[in-house]
Amino acid sequence: MIGVSLFLAVAVLLFLLLFFVGRGAESTGELISRPDDQIRHGYQDTLYSPELARRIFSPEDRKFISSTGSPQLLRIYGEERRGVALHWVRQTSNEIRTVMREHALTARQSENLEVTGEAKLFFQYIELRSICGLLAIFVRLLSPHVLCDLAAYASKLSYQIGRAQQDLANAAQLATFRSPGAP
Amino acid sequence: MLIQAIWWGAIFLEALLLIRGLRAKLLSRFPVFYSYVLFVFCEDLLRFWIHRWRPDIYPQTYWITVFLGLMMGSVLVFEIYLIGLSAYPGTARMARNVLLFVFVVIFAKALVNASYGAVWWPAKTTLELERNLRIVQAFAVISLITLFLVYAIPFGRNLKGILFGYGFFIAVSVIQLTLVSYFGNKIQLLWSYAQPVSYLFVLGIWVRALWAYQPTPGTIPAAQLENDYKALIAATNRRFHEARASLGRVVRP
Repeated sequence: MIGVSLFLAVAVLLFLLLFFVGRGAESTGELISRPDDQIRHGYQDTLYSPELARRIFSPEDRKFISSTGSPQLLRIYGEERRGVALHWVRQTSNEIRTVMREHALTARQSENLEVTGEAKLFFQYIELRSICGLLAIFVRLLSPHVLCDLAAYASKLSYQIGRAQQDLANAAQLATFRSPGAP
Repeated sequence: MLIQAIWWGAIFLEALLLIRGLRAKLLSRFPVFYSYVLFVFCEDLLRFWIHRWRPDIYPQTYWITVFLGLMMGSVLVFEIYLIGLSAYPGTARMARNVLLFVFVVIFAKALVNASYGAVWWPAKTTLELERNLRIVQAFAVISLITLFLVYAIPFGRNLKGILFGYGFFIAVSVIQLTLVSYFGNKIQLLWSYAQPVSYLFVLGIWVRALWAYQPTPGTIPAAQLENDYKALIAATNRRFHEARASLGRVVRP
């Protein structure tokens, strides 16, 4: 049964790729007809604004809204911030795609195309797009601040573990200095 | 009766395809494809004649022509690769490496099977053997399409039609041969209609795509700076690092 499923999966994958071939010609044509500069510089807006990314996902604004004590305001803020965060993630994902597309459009004409270099870039691309996908799921299902909260929690936990280890090491050191018969 | 109608319909479409190819001067542009269509056309006529006048030798004729068609189909995949990537030597090299990798993996699997005492190619029946060979073709087409999509290689209507039609035919064949070899005669009747109908659909795609010659869309020449491939790789890497850093800021408390 596993063999049958695998063979059918190959056929389904082929159908899927053929669907993209059928649909993709127009988009490729559009991309080719776009001016080079528009492709080259379109991606910069989002990626070059670190302050924007930090601000959208940091819990600072949430703390401020929480301090007003209005649940309605907090709810509106939550909805708005989720929308903004999703837009940022989508924009970043599109820009990563544009970077790869632009690379492919230029690289395909090169005679020195390196298989390893291209494979590395392709895996980086897949990794970044997957991160964006996961981020979008987190933002949609939980909240834009959940990763910051998680990171803060992990950092606090790691600090506490570090402290505990230090205390344990100190205690062990103290124990070795004391004689066995001492109270 | 319906099967006979489908049979004649296929012969008509194949003839139309060949006539249009001759009129539109497409034969010299896609020689392997038209040789393949001519082969299938003759094969259909031969099978029809044998089915009617010499039914005792029909099974042998059927399987011999199927495997000849399969071999010609593999050459057709090679023609798609040659024509599609003729303007892109670097991508063509990449495709050669990927195809080589696919064949090495399949060959290695066959070797492993042989070392475990199994037969060279683990097929109990002719049907399974055809399915296994179709799977190899499917992997080759998947690799080729993936490269075409990743590097946004413009096809042109003619080549896109050939690729789409043949890819569809392979995918349907894999499904058919897998299900028939698994379920046996239970679905044989269904597929005796579904397979010829899907082949008619493929011929329809080919007739439409190859009605007249359409040149492949041109490409924008790469900028001088980015002709330096190493610089291009470095630039894309840098931009990916920036994207990674930007995504990293999201989790900074």
